[in-house]
Amino acid sequence: MSVTIVSEPHEEGMHPTLPQLVKAASIIGQSCTVIMPGGNGADEASKIQGVEKVIKLNGACFSVFDSSSWSTAISGLVDGTVLMATTPTGRELSASIAASLGRPVIQDVTAIAPGVKVERPAYSGKAVESISVSGDAVITIRPNAIESAESGGSADISTVDSGENLRIAILEAIAKAGERLDVSEADIIISGGRGLGDRSNFEKLESVADSLGAAVGASRAVVDEWGLPHSMQVGQTGKTVTPSLYIAVGISGAIQHLAGMRSSRYILAINKDPEAPIFGVADYGIVAQWEDALPILHEAIKSLP
Amino acid sequence: MGYEALDFYDVDSLLTDEERMIRDVVRDWVDESVIPKIENACREGVFLDEWRQEIGGMGILGAPLKGYGCPGLSYTAYGVICRELERGDSGIRSFASVQGSLAMYPIWDFGSEEQKEKYLPKMATGELIGCFGLTEPDYGSNPGDMVTKAEEDGDHYILNGAKMWITNGTIADLAIVWAKLDGVIRGFIVEKGDKGFSAPEMKGKHSLKASVTSELVFQDCRIPKDRILPGVKGLRGPFSCLNNARYGISWGAVGAAQSCFDSARSYAMSRIQFDHPIAAYQLVQNKLAWMLREITKAQLLAYHLGVKKDSGEWVPEHISLAKMNNVDIALEIARVARDIHGANGILDEYPVMRHMANLESVKTYEGTHDIHNLILGRHITGIQAFTREA
Amino acid sequence: MKVAVLIKQVPDTTARISIAGGSVDEGSISKWTISPYDEYALEAALKLQSESGAKVVAITLGPQRSSKSLIDAAAVGADELMHVLYEGDAGSLSLQSALAAAVRKSEADIVLAGKQAADTNSGSTAPGVAQMLGLPCVGLVSEVKAVDGNFVATRSTSSGMERVSVSGSCVFAFDKGDEELRRPNVRGIMMAKKKPIETLSPADLGISMESGGVNLESVGYPPEKPAGQTFQGAASASEVVTKLREEANVI
Repeated sequence: MSVTIVSEPHEEGMHPTLPQLVKAASIIGQSCTVIMPGGNGADEASKIQGVEKVIKLNGACFSVFDSSSWSTAISGLVDGTVLMATTPTGRELSASIAASLGRPVIQDVTAIAPGVKVERPAYSGKAVESISVSGDAVITIRPNAIESAESGGSADISTVDSGENLRIAILEAIAKAGERLDVSEADIIISGGRGLGDRSNFEKLESVADSLGAAVGASRAVVDEWGLPHSMQVGQTGKTVTPSLYIAVGISGAIQHLAGMRSSRYILAINKDPEAPIFGVADYGIVAQWEDALPILHEAIKSLP
Repeated sequence: MGYEALDFYDVDSLLTDEERMIRDVVRDWVDESVIPKIENACREGVFLDEWRQEIGGMGILGAPLKGYGCPGLSYTAYGVICRELERGDSGIRSFASVQGSLAMYPIWDFGSEEQKEKYLPKMATGELIGCFGLTEPDYGSNPGDMVTKAEEDGDHYILNGAKMWITNGTIADLAIVWAKLDGVIRGFIVEKGDKGFSAPEMKGKHSLKASVTSELVFQDCRIPKDRILPGVKGLRGPFSCLNNARYGISWGAVGAAQSCFDSARSYAMSRIQFDHPIAAYQLVQNKLAWMLREITKAQLLAYHLGVKKDSGEWVPEHISLAKMNNVDIALEIARVARDIHGANGILDEYPVMRHMANLESVKTYEGTHDIHNLILGRHITGIQAFTREA
Repeated sequence: MKVAVLIKQVPDTTARISIAGGSVDEGSISKWTISPYDEYALEAALKLQSESGAKVVAITLGPQRSSKSLIDAAAVGADELMHVLYEGDAGSLSLQSALAAAVRKSEADIVLAGKQAADTNSGSTAPGVAQMLGLPCVGLVSEVKAVDGNFVATRSTSSGMERVSVSGSCVFAFDKGDEELRRPNVRGIMMAKKKPIETLSPADLGISMESGGVNLESVGYPPEKPAGQTFQGAASASEVVTKLREEANVI
């Protein structure tokens, strides 16, 4: 089976998910072509093991994300099953390409096997679907769900120019506002409790939150005592949250706090007291002084690829 | 944890689609606008004005009344609304009960055409707030001996006396006041700002803290003659109002009980003692099973009473039974729920102690528990036992 | 101007999902609602209704129960209701074709939809329908305004937000909007019950529903998380970060 990867643009280089998509392609197919809209990062892409051909797809339309123009430009070049990453761009572009090719689309695949058989989460992770696909489809793969292909390839790079025009126009770009997400809508939350010792230490949580795109929460004790906004409070009388990851720093885990966060998908607790009830619900517990553990955690997060 | 309303016998499947949609609207509103704010409102002892606006915006005030901008819903729908509001707080339900059953209803049933058109549309939207003055400092269960009186004075009536325990009094734009005119109880509409009328708030309540409770004071209060309710004389007037309010309470109490059950169940499931959730222990299960049993019975009483209200085949004694029983079990459920929560149950992190304190008032107002028993006793025996006199 | 809003009925996001015999047990779902992002699309359509006099047609595709979502849409102000009644499963192409045909039939000028449904979590419908209608698609939108015959949308990007202008018809896929969702009131609910629903089968729209080569073999619960792991000392934080990436796949 032939596989075509559409690798979405990423600043000046290739998108970090591309080696993972190549690995997925090697699981289900024999030959693998990578289309790079906008053309950046083609050299890097050609060096991934398993890539047979790299197509730099140039065109004026790639200056702005416009799924319908892009899919028209790309659809004529694909051969076989199409793989993309499950990113906002990937979701929209893949569905557009699938519809223009008259093929089914399957989004957010977390496991892929020859056949082609895939698994994907549904109902916000409360269920997993097992799907078999016959014929060519368009599939997006969740970032970091599949390991990366090794480097060491030397694929040919060719260039295709597209004359496709944009159908939308950007009037204005608005820089990301400095404000942080609310705990009720964040996918990752880092919360602090009395163990932080002082209100000013929340700045350290905020700095980790910024690296993760996370919201900052707090236990009731510190909201009451340190005068933090009630909107930050997680727990019985605060918000009930169910993020993918909840990081509890210096929170012992009173039953009222647990009531608001125990349904989080993963919980990481940092606390110096090994007997703290928070460890009873934590998937990952670090028994340490938070002052020591947090900087190491932050550095490790920042150095993630 | 989201609120899960206990409905063991799926009683809500007996509701119409519209009734269920209205239930969902009110339930969502309580989740979004009452639950996050109620504890603070109780601490500060205030009824938030945004609640008035939002309740008015939902169009649920005066639910069963038809015409004059009123919703024209079934009595069952009115009951469902009361249940959902009281799941939030008895004070919120009290606001709606007083506005709809005690202030709008008498104007709608006993008022003149001009009075209906002047007041009802704005009361239905919450723009105007009403209150109801019957009880006096010295006349609670025995309102017939009230001392507040009205006297004719040319084009006016002059009111003198005082009412007590008046929900919404201080925030009300108008009061329905029951007073004796030539020895006969009549209803009068007194407006905020009428000379000689004041409505000081009563402070220091341990119950219904997020509800305004007031005195109404009339000192040579002059009101124009067109403010008398022309359509009723005697105790039938206030009692008609109370029948509707008591009916709503019989549903409301179910909501408070459901809230307590929901909190107790989820607490018992997550509270670990002796290495197991306390829900795993027989004594706790017994308490939860008893709560489920009583709530299910109370739901069925309220629902069937709603059917009877809607078909018109009811007598006041039917309402007495439901009000008395449902408030009684709700209060006991709140106490048992507090017990299940252990020491945590006294904190305002959980709704149980607040409901418990509220329900102490609900047990007493709108006909005390004992008075409803006496109403039923009279119904059974034909012998009134309210007074020592024959 | 006429605005079509595509809405899907899904289990309430707080509902428990129980699985029996390899599929989701729908009977156990306590509450069905309009998918949350679709609600933002509906709100934006109602804003176009009040600001620009647009007519709003709410369209859903699904089994009988999903007509409730149309009544909910009518209760907050949708003018017309269209139900593509279909009880089974189908592939993305058939679903998108049927919705595109319904949009054509409604004669709507623009289409608003949620960016993804809360049950499948896919996000394919809006761009797919756009492609089938030959229209551009703008995703991750939080606001759409009609400005001098064009539509101006605000969409989020990896680096912030941008304002995008489209001349003529377009499909807009909504993220969480800035607007507070309106709450139905009793009057709206009573009016909604009188509003007719145009019910069509896919065949009425000239569409035959097919799986398109995608077969849902089974649905299961996600794998049990491993038991909690405890690490001693601050230095373990970097190992934990690796596990959050590789084991939990959450960062």
